[in-house]
Amino acid sequence: MAIQSASPTPSMFRKKSTPVLNTAASYLSAVSEADARARAPRGTPNSTPALSLSSSVTSSSEDTVLHEREELNSDGLAYPKVPPTSEQVFTTVHAEFGHCANDSYRFTSRYNPARPLKAGEQDPPYYILLTTYISYILVILFGHLRDFFGKRFKATDYRHLLAHGGYAALNSDFDSFYTRRLKLRIDDCFSHPVTGVPGRTIVLLDRYSPNHNKSILLTGGKTRGLNVSSYNYLGFAQSKGACADASAESIRRYGISACGSRREGGTSDLHIQAEALVARFLGMEDSLISSMGFATNSTVIPALVSKGCLVISDELNHASIRFGVRLSGANVRMFKHNDVKSLEALLREVISQGQPKTHRPWKKILVIVEGLYSMEGTLVELPAIMELKKKYKFYLFIDEAHSIGAIGPHGRGVCDYYDVNPRDVDILMGTFTKSFGAAGGYIAGNRSLIDRIRLSGHAGAYAEAMAPPILTQVVASMASIMGVTLPRLDKPTSSTRSLLTRHSDSTLNVIAEEAPAWRGTALAAWLPTWMPTPQSMCDGSDSQMRLRRLAFNARYLNRALRKLGFITYGSADSPVVPLLLFHPGKMAVFSRLMRTRPTPIVVVVVAYPATSLVTSRVRFCLSASHTKEDIDTILVACDEIGDLLDLKQGVGERWPLQEIMARAVELVHMEES
Amino acid sequence: MNTTTTALEPLFTLLSQSYTTLETTFSKIPGSAVVARYVRSSHQNDPGRTLLEVILILFAIRTLLQSRTRADNSGKHFIKFDEKEVDELVDEWTPEPLGAPLDEREQAEIDNSPVIVGPVGPKPKLSNGKTVTNLASYNFTGLAGNETIKERSIDALVKYGLGSCGPPGFYGTQDVHMQLEKDIADFLGTEAAIIYAQAFSTISSVIPAFCKRGDIIIADRGVNFAIQKGLQISRSTIRWYDHNDLKSLEQVLESTEKERRKKKGPLTRRFIVTEGIFDHDGAMSDLPKLVELKQKYKYRLILDESVSFGSIGRTGRGLTELYNVPASQVDMLVGSLANGLTACGGFCAGSHIVVNHQRINGTSFVFSAAMPPLLSVAASEGINILRSTPSILSTLQENIRAIRSILDRVDCIAIPAHPASPMIHLYVRLPSPTHLLPSAALASPALSSASGRLSNPSSPHPRDPEIFDCDLEDGILQDIVDEVLAQGVMVTRAKRLRGQELTEVRPSIRLAATSALSKKDCEKAASVVKTAFIKVVGRHRK
Ligand SMILES: Cc1ncc(COP(=O)(O)O)c(C=O)c1O
Repeated sequence: MAIQSASPTPSMFRKKSTPVLNTAASYLSAVSEADARARAPRGTPNSTPALSLSSSVTSSSEDTVLHEREELNSDGLAYPKVPPTSEQVFTTVHAEFGHCANDSYRFTSRYNPARPLKAGEQDPPYYILLTTYISYILVILFGHLRDFFGKRFKATDYRHLLAHGGYAALNSDFDSFYTRRLKLRIDDCFSHPVTGVPGRTIVLLDRYSPNHNKSILLTGGKTRGLNVSSYNYLGFAQSKGACADASAESIRRYGISACGSRREGGTSDLHIQAEALVARFLGMEDSLISSMGFATNSTVIPALVSKGCLVISDELNHASIRFGVRLSGANVRMFKHNDVKSLEALLREVISQGQPKTHRPWKKILVIVEGLYSMEGTLVELPAIMELKKKYKFYLFIDEAHSIGAIGPHGRGVCDYYDVNPRDVDILMGTFTKSFGAAGGYIAGNRSLIDRIRLSGHAGAYAEAMAPPILTQVVASMASIMGVTLPRLDKPTSSTRSLLTRHSDSTLNVIAEEAPAWRGTALAAWLPTWMPTPQSMCDGSDSQMRLRRLAFNARYLNRALRKLGFITYGSADSPVVPLLLFHPGKMAVFSRLMRTRPTPIVVVVVAYPATSLVTSRVRFCLSASHTKEDIDTILVACDEIGDLLDLKQGVGERWPLQEIMARAVELVHMEES
Repeated sequence: MNTTTTALEPLFTLLSQSYTTLETTFSKIPGSAVVARYVRSSHQNDPGRTLLEVILILFAIRTLLQSRTRADNSGKHFIKFDEKEVDELVDEWTPEPLGAPLDEREQAEIDNSPVIVGPVGPKPKLSNGKTVTNLASYNFTGLAGNETIKERSIDALVKYGLGSCGPPGFYGTQDVHMQLEKDIADFLGTEAAIIYAQAFSTISSVIPAFCKRGDIIIADRGVNFAIQKGLQISRSTIRWYDHNDLKSLEQVLESTEKERRKKKGPLTRRFIVTEGIFDHDGAMSDLPKLVELKQKYKYRLILDESVSFGSIGRTGRGLTELYNVPASQVDMLVGSLANGLTACGGFCAGSHIVVNHQRINGTSFVFSAAMPPLLSVAASEGINILRSTPSILSTLQENIRAIRSILDRVDCIAIPAHPASPMIHLYVRLPSPTHLLPSAALASPALSSASGRLSNPSSPHPRDPEIFDCDLEDGILQDIVDEVLAQGVMVTRAKRLRGQELTEVRPSIRLAATSALSKKDCEKAASVVKTAFIKVVGRHRK
């Protein structure tokens, strides 16, 4: 498993002698110039002055482009296959954020009450299940056989798995059986190191293993692939553009670190501004930012519930939620994944029974669900849960790690999608690692509750505060989704001041009155004065483009895979699309076949323990940065590999691939069959 | 009583006979030893995982038969209600509020937290417009605002964008992450290292990655909150020794060993968990002695160097450098990249086996997005700078000495911190008799063992706990902090989660020395602190 660099680079960040195009503006003008020239000599992209110019653009930022492969660009990853026309101006790097000017490839992510929520999960034929079990049993048997003989004939290899020298093994042969005997076989599909921006495409560092994955070495080569793995829903993983410019500026002004925990001097004006913006983005009274998404759950939940309280948790909730619940000391009960009936039955039981043994009433009951389940693609059935909430008086905690930004007509998550008033939800939690291309997480609720969490949550006293550049990325991307209302209403310094002394309530009320309603735009006065606010960010055109492209891509891939005959899970509006493979062996083959195609496609495969034993799957994470052509590329690949691996086990109407690609827009707008 | 025993005797013999026959027949079945061993070892390690293969078969049968077993509520304590009664109970139930409202003091605490406007550094500007001398922020090495680091980070931003957009297992591992891991391992001299996205969440994942139910952990009574949480999650058997008292550790090691021999239990994993410099009071562990003990008793050492990494030793490598102990002798060396290197995140350094194990079992590593690449680059660059500029650490030590020379012999201040610790805790020493006691205990930490009375190793509370009045001392200290701030120096009380720590931590003011200030500034700031202490305590005496 050791990953060693075959040829270690002495310094990764040698200052290059070529001038660096520092601002997005200068870079982009160079790109559009290059594009303009590329248009002229169509068909011979290899030997044109255009190419030499564009490579001069890229040589200043070797990040975005790989020299060796891109000369050809047969795969359309680095530059669009069809160069833009003269009216089209694209302000993004195609490899990071694809160029797509066709306005019909857009959709709005919104709940349609007339549509059934559950898209009817399909079960595979029995022979698939049976062979899946058999293949597990086979590998397990082989594993034990190999262990049996290995321990006798290759004792040194097992030394660290057995007690020796008076020390018990750190990781006994039993504990590590699955890692050694099952996961190791397909280790080449996991933890693949990458370099550069995890945007529309991603650059893999090539690796090989001389000894069946015992050690995996880097070859030094790189491969660019189409990226359907990163949580980059709105495409904010960009090294060029307004957000990157803002973050760079904040490094210049603020440096890298907040140097301490929030309550021990680590709070800066940026924290206050960002928290105010997050609260408004979500339509909540107040919010608290923490420097890690995982820690947001694991350090906040213990501040909400304790002994004598009950947490009701969806059975597929994320590890961070379980971690937090375990630390809290509260009792936990689980209900069947996304099953409101099961939730209601459980509620009736626990409220009527009270605490175990004593039958005392519960102090409080907290129901924790996720907005969008990252392994299933299912959306929480919020309207039904809100109904239950009225009746059963529990508190509701929604983890919107994946749904915030990615779902809803305004990108405000599941409340936006279902048109539920967010203030009816007690706690909204989310992370910035996904849609915002940043890091960390937030928790939002009413003011006194958030203040309580500031004091009693573990992070406030002990964990490092979020770093300034990360905060800036959060603010810039969030402002970009909201749109910004110019001109600045009052003198910028005074508005910052009023945020900073927010406890004098009068000032806050003033701001609240100024503030447009939920799902409105951000006021420029809420943003740092030095932050660049380009036109496309202010008028909301950038965010509309991102949101609507993502919604289109999500629906297109979901629908198209079903029409091809695959079994997928989840909502058609979900940007996470799990495609069921069932067999553990097919995971590795699928991943490798995708990776080694002429246009490599980078996918995530998951199996037990992240899923149930038999439902191994490949997971596509779509992004606003993908173009329709990219989805087509994925469909062609899936179609071929699906035939090869016998994956098309779904029932329902099927369309041929060509028809799907031709009627994509129609397919997206079609109602559920 | 007697008669029933005799009456039942035939039954007992029958039972035990049939049991032995069962056992022997079972052992005759080929492969049964493997099965038996399986069940045994799985039970010890993780009952959940035992069942996996059983479940595999059961699951297969279940799916084939489609007989859905429904969980029925026939538990012993289950009371049957009809629908109407349930509805009534539901109507009657009123939950407590989700968050208890803040009292006045808590509200003041929130409202009066200082807010820094602009960059953090030795002289930041606060939201009230004042520029202050900063003895609160963790900027030991003065790397905050370092221009080279900024430049490298911007280069990284231009190359990688900001976020990593995925967990390390799913294409979140960038080349710069691998580089940082290598840099840390090289810097410390271990085989490998693994980085986590947040320092606080590092050790609470490292501990449960290795320590399972049935394993034995011997921990210091004064370990920090993150370690406490790690211990809680691990579900291991925990024994405590007196804070920073290695004699007490040895006694606990000895008694635990005896206990094990008596029980003839199987060999389980055994760990000593402690800190390099303690977050709670700035005391320093005697690493050579610790290593000697752990080798003697065959324990593994999990050492949290969150404070000492990047602040102690000639070039900031931490305790291992200070004591000249090879880092490879510390099995799991956990540190923070946020404190000494002013970046973000934490790490665990150790052997390849230790590190690779965490890549699959470190919860907050596996289930969280990788650290933003630019922060890794900043940390790597920080290590580079420390390596090549030993003067940073010597300046830091000079500044610590300057501060200590002023505060060490003040009547109303007690300092539990080690003289070389950059984190300096100040207790208030009140002249009333009840409060003389804790400071007396402080002067000789080995008091409890010297008097021959041992603390109970199963309890986190020591036999002779320090006695102090939390609210009173907190109030005085906050007055001092406010007074000091009015004089243009920012310091902070050490913020503790009262009621959530295993044992109450004595209130203190926590100074963080930095090499970025001049010696004169440090002396001036320390004098301000001293004056404020004398003034406020004096006021209190009246
Ligand atoms: C539901 C959920 N919550 C929390 C997290 C943790 O977030 P982060 O990666 O920012 O630590 C994740 C990430 O995978 C998640 O899916």
